[in-house]
Amino acid sequence: MLDVTNLTKRFGSKVAVDDLSFSAVPGRILGFLGPNGAGKTTTIRSLLGLARPSAGSATVDGRPYHELADPVRAVGAVLEGRQFHPSRSGRNHLRVLAAAAGLPKSRVEDVLRLVELEGAAQRRVKSYSLGMRQRLSLAGALLGEPAALVLDEPANGLDPQGIRWLRDFLRGLAAAGHTVLISSHVLAEVAQTVDEVVVISRGKLVAQGSLHDVTRDANAPVRVRSSDPRALQSAIQSDGAIAELQADNWLSVRGASLERVGTAALQNQVAVYELFREAQTLEDVFLELTGDTDAGR
Amino acid sequence: MTGLVASELLKLRTTRTFWGLVGACLVLVILATALTLAFSSFHTEDDVRSLLSTAAISGLFLLILGVVFSAGEFRHGTIAWTLLVTPSRFRALSAKVLALAGAGLAIGTVVAVVTAAIALPWLDAKAAPSLSTGEVSRLLVGGVVYTGLAGAFSAGVGYLLRNQVAAVVVLLCLVFVVDPALGALAEGYGRYSLAGLGTAINGSPASSAPGGEVLPFGTAALLWIAYTCLVLAAAAALMSRRDV
Repeated sequence: MLDVTNLTKRFGSKVAVDDLSFSAVPGRILGFLGPNGAGKTTTIRSLLGLARPSAGSATVDGRPYHELADPVRAVGAVLEGRQFHPSRSGRNHLRVLAAAAGLPKSRVEDVLRLVELEGAAQRRVKSYSLGMRQRLSLAGALLGEPAALVLDEPANGLDPQGIRWLRDFLRGLAAAGHTVLISSHVLAEVAQTVDEVVVISRGKLVAQGSLHDVTRDANAPVRVRSSDPRALQSAIQSDGAIAELQADNWLSVRGASLERVGTAALQNQVAVYELFREAQTLEDVFLELTGDTDAGR
Repeated sequence: MTGLVASELLKLRTTRTFWGLVGACLVLVILATALTLAFSSFHTEDDVRSLLSTAAISGLFLLILGVVFSAGEFRHGTIAWTLLVTPSRFRALSAKVLALAGAGLAIGTVVAVVTAAIALPWLDAKAAPSLSTGEVSRLLVGGVVYTGLAGAFSAGVGYLLRNQVAAVVVLLCLVFVVDPALGALAEGYGRYSLAGLGTAINGSPASSAPGGEVLPFGTAALLWIAYTCLVLAAAAALMSRRDV
């Protein structure tokens, strides 16, 4: 269980994270979203003991990271930015970590196989593509078979197959009861992976909840395809809602519930073929909440 | 701690910088020893002492290796991995210091053996003044100890300053500029300076130390270790306050 409680982090006069609270629980994947510079990486680094909170706390199983008895078995992390010695091979990078953590060398081979990097394990990291470095980071995070995974922009540089592999892999981990926290700006990818989201902007929490709750919007239009859209349009408009005719016998209705539209169709003996409320995409919600046009790049 | 030190030694062995510096050190020691033997005359025992203390060049290399290795963790970002596995800054730093000390002792031993293998038969052939076996051993062992202690100290400096270039420049300026200058200006300073302690430990003639005076070997070694502990404590305290 990962807990961020009233976390505040200041860099001089700049407030990078402002009184932020959320939790990531076992068996669920939490998407941690926000525009560039929103404070995601700072929050993650505070959680991992790499940055000192100015106020509040960030804990793993109720303890600050530096108090964990066996950190590599508690949390595995994939961080953004430079993190490899360019002239060290991928295998040696992992052996260094395994030796420090008291893990057997065989575990290095296991994770190399898991991230499908055995063929390149002897090569120096400087020859790796961005995607290969991401896989190596993930291998390092998985070395200790941790109960929780914290991933900062893990899809960066991965090809479509790699992204799908990562998604399936994370879903498998969550299904096995692991806690997963994933930050990303690739919203379409996150939407297919996460169970819950936390959205921050300028260091502050702006939305939190299940993906379904966050993307649900009572004001979104209702779309209906029927046998007589003009008759249905008249019936709906006489009830005070706005109905707009569209191609292929579709109507787009604003200001009415699904039940009202369905009832109006029944009362006017119009056959309904399709009826649903348009869902907002995560990107729509994100842009609305953060007001940041950089999002989703 | 054993695993942490083994991990740090593996880090060292798996970079080109390490092998490059070790190779350069060996080449320089061999060249310096051979050229001195070929072109210099050996009239006094101090001439012989000077030659045998050439092995202490490895101490200089360890000073550089230590800061490059430690500060390099910040340059390449590997410090994040180090602290994710070992969140205690003091333990992480102690492992690095011990690893560099161990590497220094190993490199110093190789250099001492190579120096002895070249110099002793050659000196014999030149009929140079002979030193007692005890004194030869003291010079060679002094070089080894100095190399180990230099590695430990510089590892702490690298973590303290975090910037590779700045750390190398600061350390070399301290040893080659500040110490000799202050040693000439302030009486007694030279004995407690890094350069003076290094001379005392590696057994070079006292005349090569700043101020021309040195402490006894044991006192100098203990003082060097105390300096290293101070740097280590300062680096660990700073690291626990700074973000990575």
